[in-house]
Amino acid sequence: MKITLTVNGDRYERECAEHHTLLRFIRETLGLTGTKEGCGMGECGACTVIMNGRAVNSCMVLAAEADGAVIQTIEGEAKGPTLSDIQASFERNHAVQCGFCTPGMVMSVKELLASDPHPSVDAIKEAVEGNFCRCTGYTQIVEAVTELTGTGAKGGLDHV
Amino acid sequence: MKRNPESVLNVLGKTQYLDDLPENAGMLHAAVVLSPSAHGRFSGLDTAAALAMDSSVRVVVAADIPGQNELGTAVFDEPLLAAGEWHYHGQVLALVLASSRSLARKAAARVAVQGAEQLPAVTDPREAAARGNIILSPRTQRSGDVDTAFLACDVVVSGRVESGGQEHVYLETQGAIAWPDDSGGVRLLSGTQSPSGVQKIVARVLGLPMNLVEVETRRLGGAFGGKEDQATGWAALAALGAVVSGRPVKINLNRRDDMVATGKRHPYSSDFRIGLKKDGTILAFEADFYQNSGAATDLSPAIIPRTLFHAAGAYHIPNVRVTGTMCRTNLIPFTAFRGFGGPQGFFVIESAIDAAARALGIEPADIQRRNLLSDGDEFHYGMVAEDPRAKETMERCLAKADWNKLRADIRDFNAAHAGLKRGAAATPVCFGISFTKIMMNQGGALVHIYNDGSVGVSTGAVEMGQGVGRKIALVVADALGIPDSKVKIETTRTVTVANTMPTAASTGTDINAMAAKIACDQLRARLDALAKDRPGLDFVQLVALAHEQRVDLSAHAFYATPGLHYDLATEKGKPFHYHVYGCAVVTATLDVLRGTYQFDDAFIVHDIAHSIDPVIDRGQVEGAFAQGLGWAALEELAFGADGRLLANTLSTYKLPDAHFMPRMDVEFLERPNPGTVANSKAVGEPPLMYGIAGYFAVLDALKAVHPDKPAFYDLPMTPEKALRFLSEEDSP
Repeated sequence: MKITLTVNGDRYERECAEHHTLLRFIRETLGLTGTKEGCGMGECGACTVIMNGRAVNSCMVLAAEADGAVIQTIEGEAKGPTLSDIQASFERNHAVQCGFCTPGMVMSVKELLASDPHPSVDAIKEAVEGNFCRCTGYTQIVEAVTELTGTGAKGGLDHV
Repeated sequence: MKRNPESVLNVLGKTQYLDDLPENAGMLHAAVVLSPSAHGRFSGLDTAAALAMDSSVRVVVAADIPGQNELGTAVFDEPLLAAGEWHYHGQVLALVLASSRSLARKAAARVAVQGAEQLPAVTDPREAAARGNIILSPRTQRSGDVDTAFLACDVVVSGRVESGGQEHVYLETQGAIAWPDDSGGVRLLSGTQSPSGVQKIVARVLGLPMNLVEVETRRLGGAFGGKEDQATGWAALAALGAVVSGRPVKINLNRRDDMVATGKRHPYSSDFRIGLKKDGTILAFEADFYQNSGAATDLSPAIIPRTLFHAAGAYHIPNVRVTGTMCRTNLIPFTAFRGFGGPQGFFVIESAIDAAARALGIEPADIQRRNLLSDGDEFHYGMVAEDPRAKETMERCLAKADWNKLRADIRDFNAAHAGLKRGAAATPVCFGISFTKIMMNQGGALVHIYNDGSVGVSTGAVEMGQGVGRKIALVVADALGIPDSKVKIETTRTVTVANTMPTAASTGTDINAMAAKIACDQLRARLDALAKDRPGLDFVQLVALAHEQRVDLSAHAFYATPGLHYDLATEKGKPFHYHVYGCAVVTATLDVLRGTYQFDDAFIVHDIAHSIDPVIDRGQVEGAFAQGLGWAALEELAFGADGRLLANTLSTYKLPDAHFMPRMDVEFLERPNPGTVANSKAVGEPPLMYGIAGYFAVLDALKAVHPDKPAFYDLPMTPEKALRFLSEEDSP
């Protein structure tokens, strides 16, 4: 079947099989490999993209369901070589170790900040609770967000 | 400001992991056929249905292996492809190649096992030991005279301790790509911590000399020990597929296959006996560790000594006898996981101290503080503690947590609340740094200064998120006197630095950055000799001059950790270059009705010595603690009685998420560690043991409900076990 969608501001009209996931479409058909497959079962969040303003696990969405959708992936986050504020804060706060969860994590944070520019620490944790990071222990990730939004104390997490 | 180029790539999503690279035309994809049960025999495989799917489908079996059908490091007792018999659930029976990944997976699902006969499966390590199913021989380390010492004790306590396995859950699953090479060999890209280890086994499997097998590792999306030995089989399968088909072959496991078919942290079952004076001084300790090694040797013989080395924890105990037995069972071959046997040892001594505290009517922390290592104390394996930082880190940590007030606050809280109880515990850590196998403490580096003044550095270190590349770049920049932006860390390749050891045992920076520094010192000396006659030249001008004057701008260097020795007959020596110390205090709140709990605070004082990059090191401490807390109080690696893995997806195996982690307050003890690169200390593994405090914090809260009920030492703590303790007559 043929689907039409907008990804990172670019419009694509492409063939896809009915059973292909949005993740597979993004990675294999469009060649945007920044979005990762960690489990393929909607459990780890590594494949998170923003679809029509909402963060979704792209492994749990059929490409066909994204017909007509507006999608953002990690490749659309930076403006040329300039990191976005979220990316720069992640780098500065070392919210990144192996980097495999990072694109999905950034997408979840982006969705949060779009609706809540000054989230509480609890709201930040809730926004990323579907994104597993096996490396960091999450503190530096939460701090990357609080430093950006000015909503948390540095050097430790405000408890909920 | 300084930026870590690897992190910049990561936040941009531009980092290329194995599955992100463009695929070659004609590349075949591989999938695996896994054994259906823990132990069985089979007469063959029915491949007709799979082959009928597409002309590109090919099934590769043990008989197709041109060399030796063996995996292993020291003992080669695991077949790459099972032939006639399988020994654990998830063992690879066949490799299926096809033109697409989905086709390969569908075809693999259609391969049927013929003539299957189920055989009895042993999953319990004690049962395996009783039947004589052990790997090599048990090892015993001893000091003093335990039997006499126990007679002099005021109190002697014994007990049993269980600790469960742990799945690595590196976010990037295992994989490899192999290309047939016109040399007659293969080139490989492998998701391994050990490119040279892959090279050696691929050469054995294919019957080739090692110089015809080239292995490159770019970076890993997490590893944690799970890709030290366990990445090799997947690389060997890809290489075998490439040789059999004459085409490039990619294998990239899906998550469930990865969880079922790859090794994990060893479960242990242990017995202890501890003897003390009334004042809490530990006089004698003995333990028997039954390591569930799984169905093959893998790294178990290297892991069991680390358990024994760490059996006395951060304490000086004058009389010790500890024995470790590697028990062969019909479970997945268990393997390296951050801590490498150390955490299992620590949990037993801390359990023994908890049990002894009850017998003496004092707090565990009183026993801990009284017995911490002092300068000049001899470990039970003969090494002498030099500048031990156990007391310093523990006292600072207790002060940080305001320990006495914390205990009082918890007592008040618990007296005032029936439905909620709080608990707290401290765990001091002392962890030896060096591979326990002495020959492995070696590494090389190759540094090129290009004639424009930019620098490329190759070592044996594999970047897997731990920041080893960044640390090496900072060390190189410092040694050459140039900005770190001029330094590029190359991918890890067997053709640039040969015969490397796995990036493991926390030694990645210690060994590889030191080798790189030695190479840089050689280059700097050559440049400095030129600069004597030509003062005022900057680095770039000096390099251009050196090139003009035919001075070699490349250097290879080698580093072998000095001073290590160990006598296996007496089990005495100096197996470690140094020790890392530290302490954690963890607090928890327990819901008495539900058995659920949350961790509130973690106070950590960690012996970092000199940090090459503090933000990386803090990430290592916090991340290791998170894994340790997960192991101790969340992650339950459940196997069925039949030996099948029940926790085979991320919905049935629970990982720490953002809500699980407590507030973390990490402080570094900064005092240089002479004789290491930049006076630093390794940081990867030691902080994992801080997670053990989480187990005992929940146990402390449970004791507040039933102070007279015997405690249980069955890690991980889970809400289910907590609820059973709270509600049943018998403990878990």
